[in-house]
Amino acid sequence: MMLQDGSTQLLCLTATSGVPLFTRGASRQLPFSIIGSLNGVHMFGGGQEVVLSSCETEGGGKVVWRVFHDSVMLIAVSGSGHGGAGSGKEKEAHLQRLLENVWNCMVLVLGEEELVNIRNVERLKRDLRSCFNLIDQLLEEKQEGILGNLTHCADSLLPPNPSLVQAAVDGFTQAADSEFGCLLVHGRMVSATEKWWRLAPQEIVLLAALMRTLSASGSSSCDYPVFLPHGSPTVAHRLLRFQLLPGADVCVLCGPTPSLQRAQSGLVVRFWAPLAETLRECLTVGGRCLPASVSLHPDVLAFLLINRETRRSISCVLCSHTTTKPSAAPVLSNGRCWELLKLFYNFSITRYFSQEETLCASQDESAQRNTTEEFVRGFTHQPLQCYLVTEECKSYGLQTAQHQLFLLVPPSVPTFALRTVATQTLTDIVTATGF
Amino acid sequence: MMFNGPADGASFSKNLEDFDSIRSVLLYSDLEPEWLDEIQKNGELFYLELSEGEEDAALIQANACHGVSTNHVRFSEKEAEIIIEQNKKQRCCSRVKGETALKKLARILRRKRRPSQRKGGGGKDGSKDSTALTPPASILKNQPSQRQGVSVQQQQQLKEVCVYLNPKRLGGSSSAPLSDSGGLLEALLGVIHRPSWTRGQGASTVLRQEERLTVHGLIPNSPAIKCGQILIGDALVAVDDVDVTSENIERVLSCIPGPTQVRLTLETVAHVDNGSAGDAPSARRTKSSPPVSQLVRLLWGEDTAELQMSIGHIPHVVMYLSLKLDSTSTQEEEEILYQYPVSDASIQLKAVRGIFLTLCDMLENVTGGRIVSSSLLLGKHLVHVGYWKEGNNLLVVGLPAERVPLLYLQTVLGDVVRTLKVMYGSLDRAFCKSDNTPRLDHFFCLFFQQLIQPSRLRDGSSTPPTDVSVTLFLEGLPAVRWLTLPPEIKVEVDSVLSDFESSDFGEMSEDFFGLRRLYVILGSCLFYKSYLIANHLPKEDLLDVCLYCQHYCLLPLASEQRVGQLVIWREVFPQQRAHSGSSSRSRAVTGFTPPHGRHFLLIVGLRHFMQCVLLEAGGCSSPALAYPGPDCVYVDQVKATLLQLEALEAGIEERLNAPPAPCLSCADWFLPAATARDRLDSVASSSPVLSKLSGTVKGPSSGSRGRSLFGEMSRRCSPQRSLSDSGSEGQMDAGSGSSSSTVAGFSPHSTPDSARKLERRRDSLGSGGSDGSGGSGGLFKTPRMKHPNPFYLGTLKKTLTDRETEEMYTTMKLTSGSENTLFHYVLMDGVQGIFIAPTHRETAQLSGSIHPQLIRNFHHCCLSIRAAFQQSLPARSRRAAERPQGGGWGLGPVKEHGVLFQCKPENWTDQRKPAPTMTYWVIGRMLLEPIPQEFYVCFHDSVAEVPVEMAFRLSFGLAL
Repeated sequence: MMLQDGSTQLLCLTATSGVPLFTRGASRQLPFSIIGSLNGVHMFGGGQEVVLSSCETEGGGKVVWRVFHDSVMLIAVSGSGHGGAGSGKEKEAHLQRLLENVWNCMVLVLGEEELVNIRNVERLKRDLRSCFNLIDQLLEEKQEGILGNLTHCADSLLPPNPSLVQAAVDGFTQAADSEFGCLLVHGRMVSATEKWWRLAPQEIVLLAALMRTLSASGSSSCDYPVFLPHGSPTVAHRLLRFQLLPGADVCVLCGPTPSLQRAQSGLVVRFWAPLAETLRECLTVGGRCLPASVSLHPDVLAFLLINRETRRSISCVLCSHTTTKPSAAPVLSNGRCWELLKLFYNFSITRYFSQEETLCASQDESAQRNTTEEFVRGFTHQPLQCYLVTEECKSYGLQTAQHQLFLLVPPSVPTFALRTVATQTLTDIVTATGF
Repeated sequence: MMFNGPADGASFSKNLEDFDSIRSVLLYSDLEPEWLDEIQKNGELFYLELSEGEEDAALIQANACHGVSTNHVRFSEKEAEIIIEQNKKQRCCSRVKGETALKKLARILRRKRRPSQRKGGGGKDGSKDSTALTPPASILKNQPSQRQGVSVQQQQQLKEVCVYLNPKRLGGSSSAPLSDSGGLLEALLGVIHRPSWTRGQGASTVLRQEERLTVHGLIPNSPAIKCGQILIGDALVAVDDVDVTSENIERVLSCIPGPTQVRLTLETVAHVDNGSAGDAPSARRTKSSPPVSQLVRLLWGEDTAELQMSIGHIPHVVMYLSLKLDSTSTQEEEEILYQYPVSDASIQLKAVRGIFLTLCDMLENVTGGRIVSSSLLLGKHLVHVGYWKEGNNLLVVGLPAERVPLLYLQTVLGDVVRTLKVMYGSLDRAFCKSDNTPRLDHFFCLFFQQLIQPSRLRDGSSTPPTDVSVTLFLEGLPAVRWLTLPPEIKVEVDSVLSDFESSDFGEMSEDFFGLRRLYVILGSCLFYKSYLIANHLPKEDLLDVCLYCQHYCLLPLASEQRVGQLVIWREVFPQQRAHSGSSSRSRAVTGFTPPHGRHFLLIVGLRHFMQCVLLEAGGCSSPALAYPGPDCVYVDQVKATLLQLEALEAGIEERLNAPPAPCLSCADWFLPAATARDRLDSVASSSPVLSKLSGTVKGPSSGSRGRSLFGEMSRRCSPQRSLSDSGSEGQMDAGSGSSSSTVAGFSPHSTPDSARKLERRRDSLGSGGSDGSGGSGGLFKTPRMKHPNPFYLGTLKKTLTDRETEEMYTTMKLTSGSENTLFHYVLMDGVQGIFIAPTHRETAQLSGSIHPQLIRNFHHCCLSIRAAFQQSLPARSRRAAERPQGGGWGLGPVKEHGVLFQCKPENWTDQRKPAPTMTYWVIGRMLLEPIPQEFYVCFHDSVAEVPVEMAFRLSFGLAL
C-alpha cells in the first residue's frame, strides 16, 4: 500500500501530454509509474468516448478523475482506512468538491488563460508553486471550524452589533473605489458589501481561504492579484488586505487604484480606528460564531447552520458542557466533533438533501455533479429531516426552504427528543440573529 | 407410515389414506414422467409447464384430482419447444388408451416445430425464411399463394394473435359436428367463414382455387372471441407460420393433437396507412399482447433477442476477464473468457476493458484495498462497474446508474456471484467451460432484464409492476419473505414436510430395496405464492436456494395462476457446506465434520406451491456417479407432498385475505382532500378523517373477522388445549400481552369484551411464560411441531369455518397513540434468514394515489439506510479477512437512522391555498442483541415512535 491510511494525494498533469505538473498531499509521493497509469486509463477511456470519473476500493479508498478545459487533469487518490471523509458516495462527493476547489484556486492565482492554453510547461510548473499554500490548506483542512470548502457557503461569524460593522465595511470599500469589500474575524466572514455577496459562493469561499493563508504569513497588509474563477477568469483584480487586529482582517477587491500605501495610511485608520472596541467584541465571539446573547439548548454538542439563500453558514462545537457532566463516559474531543459534523453533513447531502449549485460553469461540470446526486433524485417525496444514531453521538439534520441545520447531540439524549432540540435550536438562532 | 407421531386422529388418517393412494399411484404406476425426455446430459433439468388459461385454473381448483391437459415446455440449451401431451395425473386417474399414439403425434409435432423455435432465438424478423424452412411434411402443404400474401402485406397490416386451442373439448361437448359447413375452424377456433359470401362480392376471388379465409363472424365463448383481437373482416393468413386458405385450414387445424397455444396471423384492413413493408414485423410484435408473460417466455429461452434489443440503448455488460496474458494463444480477444451481451449495449464498455484490467491490477497497491467499483460516463449514461476478482480472473459487471445506485451495486454483484457459485461451484468453473455459455447467456439475460426493465417482464401478468428499488432492496436482503401462518396450519405444514424429509416411505426408505438410499434429504423449504411458509433448511442453505429461485424469478412465477408443473433438478454447491470443510472452527466446537458429498437441488412446483429440497449424495447415502438426473421417486414424493398440502390452501388463502395483522394505513387518508381542513396534526379522535380511517380498516375485516394472527390466535382455541399446550403459546401470548396496552387504547376497535380478553391474555401470559423460544434457530423445530395434537389437527377444517363466524376480533397495532399511523414495515431476522413485510395483497388493498409512491420511496430510502448499516458494520461475511476494520466509514457503527419525508398531492390546482402536505418517517433500526435483526418502518409523523419497541412488538409475529 503506497498511501497512508486515509490520506489524500492530489495529482495534477497536463491532460494532453500527461506531463506531471505537481503532486500535493501525503508525505510520500506516488511512484511515477502509478501516476502515469492513473492518467493513462483516463486518457484511454477518452479515446473511446468513455469518461472515467471515479473508482472505489475496499475499505473506502477512492480515486477521482477530472479534466478541466481539456488542458489540466486533476486526480485525487485517497487511501483506505479510518479517518477519511466517510466512505463510498460521501467520499466521492468530497473529492469531487476538492478537485473543483483546487482548479478554482489555480485559476484564482494564475488566471484561466495560462492554464487553458499551456505554452510553456516548465514555466507553468514554476508558476503553480504559488498556489501550493492554498492547495495544501484545501487538502489538509487543518483549520477547525472552516467548512466552506465542503459546503461552498461562506463561513460566517455573527457579530454582537452587525449594523455598526456593516456601515464601516461599506464606507471603507467605497472610499477605496471599490464595491467589493469584507471583514474577516478568525478567518470567518463578519460582514461584507452587498456586491461581495453576489460573487459566486465558490469565489467567496476561496477568497476567504486565500486571506487566511495571507494573514497566516504574518504581514500586516498585502496587495495580491487575483482572478475570479467565475466572475473574471482572465482579467486580474487586486486584492488589498489589511490586518486591523491580530485575527481581524479587512479586504477589498479593486482596480488599479488606490495604491496599497495610500489605502493603508489614509483609509484604514480613518474607518477602523473608531471601531476598535467593536472589533475586539467580535474577536471574543471567537469559535462560537454567535453572540453570547444567543442561548443554545444545553444538549447541543455541535451545529452547522446554512442559510440557503445567502449561502452563508455558521458552525461551532460547544464542548464546554461535557466537562460539567463527569458521568458521560466517552467525551468527544473538539477535533472529533468537527470531523463527525463534516461526515454527517456529507452523508446527508449525498443521500437526502440537495446542495444548491448556483453556478455550474460548463456542461461537463454539471454532468460530473450528476454522478453524486443520482441517488437523491431517486426519491419520489422530498426528504425534510434525517437523523443518525451512532455509538459516539446522535446527529440530526433538517432542511427548510431557507435553512439547513446539522446538529450533534450526546447519545444520552433520547431519540424522540432530537427533533425538538433541532427545531428549537433553529428558531432560537434565527429569531435572535436574523440569520 | 405417514406420521411418526404415535397418535393419529381418526379423521386425519382417513385424509391420509387419500394421500396414500395418491402416493402409491404415483409410485407404482410405471409411467415415465413427462419431463424424462428433457433431462440434459449433465443431469440438469428445467421443466416448466403452464396450466391453461385463468378460467381453466379455476376448474383445476374445483376438481384437483381430475386431470388437466397442459402445455409442456422443455428448456434445453438452445431452444425451447412445446410438447403437447397429457398431464401425468390424468393418466394416473384414468389411463387413456391412445396415449402412445398421442405421444408419437407429439413427437412428430415437436420435430416439425424445432426449426421455427430455433428461429425464435435468432431474431423474429426472419419469419418468411422460417416458413420456407419449415418442412411441410405430408399434411402441411406449403401453399403456392405465399407470394401473393407477401405482396398484400405491403398495403394491409398483419397482426398476430395467440389463442389457446383445446381439441379435447370438441369430443367432450358433442359428437363432432365437424362435417358441417364450419368445420374445425368454427368448432375449434370459433371463426365463422362463409365461402359463398366472398364469392358473391369479388370477381377476382372467384378465380382463385383456394380462397382467403375472411372472418365473417365469431362464435360466442370461443377462443377467437375471447382473445378480443380477431375482428370481423380480418382474414386468416397463417396458423403458426403455416399459410392457410380455405383449402387446407381443416387439415392444418386437425393436426393440432392436444391443447396448445397457436399463433394466428391475420390480415386486417383497418390501419392501412401506417404499415410499410419494412416495419411490419415490429408492428406485429407490439400489437399482439402476449398471453404468456415475457417472463415465462424468457424462462423458456424464447424471445431473448427481442428483449435484449429493447434495452440495447442502455449500456450494460458482464465480462469475465483473464488477468494473465497468454501471448501464445492464437485466439482473438483471448483475455475475454466470457461476455454478455454481444450487442451495441456492450460495445463501448468492452472496448475499454483495458481500463478495468489496469485499475484492478494497480489500485490494490495504491489504496490498500481491492477495487470494488468505478463510475464511467458514456455520453449521457452514467454506468457503474462492479468488480469481483477471483484468482487470476476478474468479473466485471456494468450497470446503468439510474437502475442500480452505487450504494447497492456491491450487494447486487455479491448476489450474482453467490448465485453463480451455488450453481457451478466457482466462477472459474462457470465461465471457463465453453458448454456453459448458452446457459450463462440465459442467466445474464434474466439478470439484466430484471434490473433494467422489470416492468416489461411482468407485463401480461396480473401483479402490479414493481419498482426497481423495491426489488433491489427486498432481494438484496439476506433473507426470504416469510408469511406468518396461523399456528395450526403451520404445524400441519411442518409435519407434512417432516414426513417427507424423514424419507422412510416407499422406495425412499432403505428397507424397501435393502440398499443404501440414493440421496439424503438435508432439508426443504416450502413457498406459497412467493412467500416462504415453512423452512427446514439451515439459514445459509436457505439463502442459497432462495438466490437461485430469485434469479430465475420462480417466486413471482408461482404467485401467478399459471404454473402447471415445475420440476428443476441440478447439482448445487451450497456455500456454507462447500467452505465448512476448510474452516476448522465448526469441527473444533462440535467435533463433527460435515460429510463431503455432492448436493442436488430439487424444486417442484405445482400451482401456487413450490417446494425446494436439498439432497445430499455421498454422505451416508450412496455416492453419486457422473451426472445423475432427477430421480422419479424423489420427484414424485415431493409432488405427493405438494398435493397433500393443497388441502391447506384454503387456510393459507384465508390468511392472505385476512386484514393486515399489524394494521396498515393508507397514506392518502392522511392527506385532507382539497376541500378539507388544512392540517391533520390537531385532528381530534372524533374527526371525520379518523372515522374514515378506522372505517376503512374495519371495512375489509368485516367480511372475514377474527383472523388477526397476533392477537387472538391463542385465545380462540379451546381452554383444554391451551392448558395442554400452554408452553408453545408463550410467544404468541407474550406478543399480545406486550401490545395489550395499545389495543386497549385503540378505541375505534375496542369491543365490549375487550376487558375480558385482556384479562385472559394476562392469565395465559403468566402461565405460559415466554421462554424466548423465538430465537431457537431454524435448523431444529420446536418440540410442539414434532408432536402435533391429533385432536386439534383433526378439527382443523372445522375451526377454520368456525373462525368465519367468530365475532370477537382484535387488531394488532404497531404504532402508539389513538390513530394507526403505520404505513409499511419490513422486519428481517438475521438468524433465521427471513423477513416479514405486508403481503402484496395487503399493500394492494390500500390503493390510493400517494400510497404507491410512498411504498416506492420507502424502499428507496431503505436502500440508503441498509447501506449505512452495512458500511458501518465491521465486515464479517464477505472477504472478511482482507478488509480493514471500519471500512473507511468515519461515523462509527450506526444503530438507527431515520429520514422524514414530505409529500404533496400531485396536480394541485388551487392557487389560493398551498397544497396540503403529509409528512412521514422512514426509520431503520439495527439490533444486534439478542439476535441480529433489522427493522424498517414507515409511519406518519404525528406520533413519535421508538422503533425498538415497534420491532419488539412485531418480532413476535416471526416465531418460526
